[in-house]
Amino acid sequence: MASLTLDKVRKTFGSVEVLKEINLTIEDGEFLVLVGPSGCGKSTLLNLIAGLETSSDGEIRIGDRVINNVHPKDRNIAMVFQSYALYPNMTVRKNITFGLEIRGVSASERDKAVDDVAHLLQIENLLDRKPSQLSGGQRQRVAMGRALVRNPDIFLFDEPLSNLDAKLRVDMRTEIKKLHHRLGSTIVYVTHDQIEAMTLASRIAVMKGGILQQFDTPQHIYEKPNNMFVAGFIGSPSMNFIEAKLVDDNGRIAVTFDNNGQKVVLPLVADSPESYKSWVGKDVVFGIRPEGLTHKRTGSDQPGSQYVNFDAKVEVIEPTGADTMTVINLGGKEIVARVRPDRATNPGEMMTFSADMNQISLFDPTTELRI
Amino acid sequence: MADLQTYGQDSGLKHTLLRGLLYLVLILFSIYYLFPLFVMVTTSLKSLTEIREGTLISLPRVVTFDAWNYAWNEACVGVECSGIKTFFWNSVQMAVPAVLISTILGALNGYALTKFRFKGANIVFAMLLFGCFVPFQVVLLPMSVTLGKLGIANSTTGLVLVHVVYGLCFTTLFFRNYYVSIPDELVKAATIDGAGFFTIFWRIILPISGPIIVVSIIWQFTQIWNDFLFGASFSSGGSAPMTVALNNIVNTTTGVKQYNVDMAAALLTGLPTLLVYVLAGKYFVRGLTAGSVKG
Repeated sequence: MASLTLDKVRKTFGSVEVLKEINLTIEDGEFLVLVGPSGCGKSTLLNLIAGLETSSDGEIRIGDRVINNVHPKDRNIAMVFQSYALYPNMTVRKNITFGLEIRGVSASERDKAVDDVAHLLQIENLLDRKPSQLSGGQRQRVAMGRALVRNPDIFLFDEPLSNLDAKLRVDMRTEIKKLHHRLGSTIVYVTHDQIEAMTLASRIAVMKGGILQQFDTPQHIYEKPNNMFVAGFIGSPSMNFIEAKLVDDNGRIAVTFDNNGQKVVLPLVADSPESYKSWVGKDVVFGIRPEGLTHKRTGSDQPGSQYVNFDAKVEVIEPTGADTMTVINLGGKEIVARVRPDRATNPGEMMTFSADMNQISLFDPTTELRI
Repeated sequence: MADLQTYGQDSGLKHTLLRGLLYLVLILFSIYYLFPLFVMVTTSLKSLTEIREGTLISLPRVVTFDAWNYAWNEACVGVECSGIKTFFWNSVQMAVPAVLISTILGALNGYALTKFRFKGANIVFAMLLFGCFVPFQVVLLPMSVTLGKLGIANSTTGLVLVHVVYGLCFTTLFFRNYYVSIPDELVKAATIDGAGFFTIFWRIILPISGPIIVVSIIWQFTQIWNDFLFGASFSSGGSAPMTVALNNIVNTTTGVKQYNVDMAAALLTGLPTLLVYVLAGKYFVRGLTAGSVKG
């Protein structure tokens, strides 16, 4: 177990800069998830930590030890790969103990270690099979067993669940989380699935184009995204963006935009940040998550309420059971609202919605940064 | 399977005719290719008098293995009349080490070219590939100079070196294409497990290379065993491989031409490659196509 520090880490392939000055620090026992779209550099970053690739610049530390020039086998890390990378010619037992054997651990200790891990992962009955005789979920467990048996400082997971079917993925996700609670180990986990990131992480690093976009706790990233990319990437369905303008509405700052010739005015809550004042009269991007747009709430008519009502025509409804996603056209854009099923109406009808002004984000339309 | 048969039945007369034509062509080609073998085998089993009296395609009246025995133990190669057997062992001593060494080196090359990609790996591979297209005749003179300088001219060791060098291009190509389809993550996992270059090779890569090893062995064995040019150029007298000896038996006999002995000697020479292919042939096709489809 150890902390991990990345200090101004850069990586270039020829003239292409795939990682630009990444700074990250996680404490002992944290679960860091690197998330981003394909090609954002998250896997490269994981390979740098593993030592499978060398950084072009900067420092990587495990605990207090600088490991830039340390061979992967001496970094005391273990890695679980997307394709599991089980050795096809060896039995499960051999697969799990291979690393110990190479390190000269005695046979009796190896047997004990493999029994412990097999018990933990409930794969005792698979130990004498070959990887080709295992199902996807079983291979996944064996791959984790191979990492666990070494008792490393840091576990690295490279999209470990993306080859599993949807049901199994959710089960394994819970299992990984349980395992983390039980072992208290430091984990770096790469995924492109934002739900995995939200559910597993103690802290999330959102990446795009080799740049670290935001590094924070899942809840903070969800509620206060640094920029429009993070806002749109985290959360499903993703955040709604409406081009709008900040105005002074009888002494209160309000967001206003045009909706099919009608002006919609949504006054902000009283304790909005001071910084909004300097944006009065300017264009902004108004961001609100689907759960911030609901059917009409009780008390929304009272003055000073955080809820603001407006009417809009329902275009499409997508029932999910728990909620009905209602698509409306607002300010020329398709906007998703999350409505209680018993309050949902049919497509084509007018409906009154409440916007929860406590759940909004404002962005600069040119830089796309949070205001 | 059952469905396919139903489809076959209701396609009518045209289908039957086309089928018939197909089989006719196939049978004709089979006869065309098998006929020389038939003549060789029957001739080798006849006595000389029967060959003189009968026709080329007649079956032997009395089957005798005298010619085979004579070819193996007594036929004259040059002035030495102890049969082709000593030369058979020459070929074995040349082919076995050459096949094994070139296969192992090819596997190592392929492994290094795909899994430990160094700067210029593609250029090295392209140049090795180029070696596959260099005709035998081009290397004769430089090779003989090299063998002379190394002091292994006219020896089986020299022939082994020649065949290893020449075969390396092909074996590297085989193994490289096979290893390209093996996921890199396997090597990464083993690296993190603490295994080095050779440990990964011996413990993980080689054990899953079965099909392509068979391909390499069949290919190399056939090439090296059947080679005549290098054998004739870089060996002499007692160290010559079997193919060269066969040529000497057939071309240097004085007096009556012993067709049955010639045929028996030729069959003996061809037998080992045939045997290797029969024993491992199914792996050959499997290995050749293994790299082409992922998974």
